Amino acid sequence: MLPYFVIAPIFIAVFLYVFSSVRAAKVVAIAAQTVFTGFAGYLFFLVKAGEIVTSIGAYESVMGIVLRADTLSSVFVALTAISFLMAALYSYNENEGKLFWFLLFVWQGLLIGIFLTRDLFNIFVLIEVAAVVVSVLVMYNRDNRSMYDGMFYLMTGIIAMQFYLFGVGYIYKLTGVLDMEAAAVILAQLDRSSLILPYALIITGVGLKCAILPLFSWLPKAHGSPSAPSSVSALLSGVHMKSGVYLFMRVQPLFQGVDASTFFLVVGIITGIAGFVLAMSQNDIKLLLAYSTVSQIGLIISSLSLGNEYANTGGLYHAFNHALFKAALFMGAGVLSKAYGTRNLDEIRGVFKRFPLVGVAMFMAILGITGAPLFNGSISKYFIMYGTTWYITWLFILLNLGTITVFAKFSAMLFGRRGDEGAGQQTLKFVRKVETDLHHRDAVAKPRNYSEAIPINKQIAIIALGLICFVGGIFGSEFITFLFNVEVSIDTAGYLEKTAFFAGSVLVGILFCKYFVQKSKLLKRLRAIDFGFRGTCVALGGFFATVLIVLGFF
Amino acid sequence: MNYEIVEIFAVVLFFVSLFGLITSKGVIKGIVSIIIMEISVVMFFLSLGFRSGILPPIGGDVGQNAADPLPQALMITAIIIGVAVTAVNMTMLIALSRQFKTTEWDLLKKMKMDE
Repeated sequence: MLPYFVIAPIFIAVFLYVFSSVRAAKVVAIAAQTVFTGFAGYLFFLVKAGEIVTSIGAYESVMGIVLRADTLSSVFVALTAISFLMAALYSYNENEGKLFWFLLFVWQGLLIGIFLTRDLFNIFVLIEVAAVVVSVLVMYNRDNRSMYDGMFYLMTGIIAMQFYLFGVGYIYKLTGVLDMEAAAVILAQLDRSSLILPYALIITGVGLKCAILPLFSWLPKAHGSPSAPSSVSALLSGVHMKSGVYLFMRVQPLFQGVDASTFFLVVGIITGIAGFVLAMSQNDIKLLLAYSTVSQIGLIISSLSLGNEYANTGGLYHAFNHALFKAALFMGAGVLSKAYGTRNLDEIRGVFKRFPLVGVAMFMAILGITGAPLFNGSISKYFIMYGTTWYITWLFILLNLGTITVFAKFSAMLFGRRGDEGAGQQTLKFVRKVETDLHHRDAVAKPRNYSEAIPINKQIAIIALGLICFVGGIFGSEFITFLFNVEVSIDTAGYLEKTAFFAGSVLVGILFCKYFVQKSKLLKRLRAIDFGFRGTCVALGGFFATVLIVLGFF
Repeated sequence: MNYEIVEIFAVVLFFVSLFGLITSKGVIKGIVSIIIMEISVVMFFLSLGFRSGILPPIGGDVGQNAADPLPQALMITAIIIGVAVTAVNMTMLIALSRQFKTTEWDLLKKMKMDE
C-alpha cells in the first residue's frame, strides 16, 4: 500500500489540472487532503504494530526498489499531510490558478516519496524533481525578484545533488547495492579511510538541503521571497527543510565507521548563532522568519549530533514542532503583510487590537518557538538540554536567548495601538482613502476590498496550528511516547529550573532587543550580507574540503 | 589498458566544472558548467560497471560476461532529469534577461536589490 501514498497526491494533482472549474477543484483538493491526512494517521497506527515494507517491481528488497515505513518516516508522512492540509485550507480563497494546485499536490507526493524510500538513487530523483517544483512555486507570481530567487534555489540545489550523486556512485562502487539497509551492512565491514570520500560528497549535498552554515544562502531567498505565496513559504520552512534533516539522520547510520558527530555539533551550534544574529538584523517580516529557520535548523542538527538518547528525541520532536509553529508564523505573516500592505516590521503595530484571533494564534506560535513553559517548544528544548553536559548546555541556552531576542523584535508588532504604525502606514491609509473615495464617486465600481477582515479559512488554518503548539506542550511527554515510541518522563524539578531560565532569558532578551537590536548600526550592515551564487559555489567546495580534511586528519 | 583512467578523468572533470561555476560571471556559463558536472557524474557511473573484455548487457548470448546494467539504467534517468532541469533553467534565464537586460550574476543581484 505504500506506493499509493506517493502516487495518490500526484494522481489528484493531474485530476485537478484537467478539471474544468477551478472553484470545484479547490473543494475537491481540500476534501482530498482531509482524506489523505486520515490515511496518513492510519499508516501511523499500522506502523506502530511493525515496519511495513513494499518492494516496487518484481525484485526482492536488496535488488529492487523498496519503500519502507518505520516510526520515523510515518511521523514525517503524517506531518507532511497535516501541513499540506493547512496550506490548502489557507490558500483556498487566493486566486491562484490550477497550476498552483497541481504543483502543490505533486510536491506533496514527492516529499512523501523522500520520507518513504530507502533507495539512494530514488532520493536523488525525488529531490531533483522537488527542486524544480519548488522553484516554480517560489516564482509563481512572476515577480522579478522571486524569479532570481527561484533560479538561485534551483541551480544551487542541482549542484548539491550532483555532489550527492557522486557519493552514491562511490557507495555503489564499494557495495554494489543502492538499498540503504543493505549498504549499511556492507559499509560497516569496510575500513574508515575508504568511507571518508563518499561521506564527504553525500553530506555536502545533504548539508545544502539542511542549510547548515556556509550553505544556507538559498534559504532566505527561497523562503523570504516577497511575492512567493505565503503557504509555499510555510511549507518550505515547515516540511521541505525537514526532508533535509530527515536525510541527515538517515545518512549517518550508513557510515558508522566515520564519526562526524563532533564536527556537526560544532557546525550546528555555529549555524544556530549565525542564524539568530542575521535574523535580528532583518526588518522584513518574512526574511526574519527565514533566518530564524536557519537558527532552529542549527539547533536541531546539533542536538541530533549529540549522540544521546534524550537529546536525539528532543531534536526530533523539535523538528516536528518547528514545522507547526513556523507554518503558523509564516501564514500569519502572509495575512498581516496583506492586511497592512507592508512587510516592514516597524510599520505593523497593534495586531492584537485589530485581529485578536490571529494575534493570539501567532503569539502561541511565538511562545512555542521560544520554548515558553506549557508550549511544545519547551518540551523539545527541555529534552535537548537534558542530554547535554555543562558547557554545551550554556551554548544551547545562548541559542535560545537569541531566539527569544529575535522574537521579542518580531512580537513588537502584536502590541501597540493602531496609530503607532509610522509614516509609511499613514501614507498607505491616505492612498487607500483616496482610492475608496474615487471608487465611491464612480458609483459603478465597488470599493476595492483591502481585506480589512481576514478570511475565515485562513483564520482556521492559523488558529489550528497555534492550538496544536499548545496541545503539544501540555501533553508533551505523551506526544513523544506516542510519536516516536520512546518512553520519556519529565522531571518536574528540572522543568521548573528550565522555566526559571526561560523567565531570565525573556527579561535579558527583551532588554537586549530594546537597547541594542533596534538601535545598532552594526546589525543594519549585517543585513546586506549575501553570498551570491558564486559565493555559494565556493562555500560548497569549501565545505566539502573541510569535511574531508577534518575527517581525514582527526 | 587501465580503465581507472576514466574514473580519474570523471573526478577531475567534476572539479573543473566546480571551478567553472566559481569563476564564471555569466549565468549561461554557470548552466553549461552544471551540464559538465552532470556529464562527469555520468562518466563516473559508467566506469563502475566496466572491466576488460566484457560485453554490453543487450541481446541474447552474453551470459557471465555482461557488464553491470544497473549504472546504465540509473544514468539514463539522470540524463533525462538533467535535460529537464537545464530546460527549466534556460527558461527562467530568458525571462530574467528580458526583464533586466543582463545575464550576469552580479548585475542581476544588484538589480534585484534595487527593486
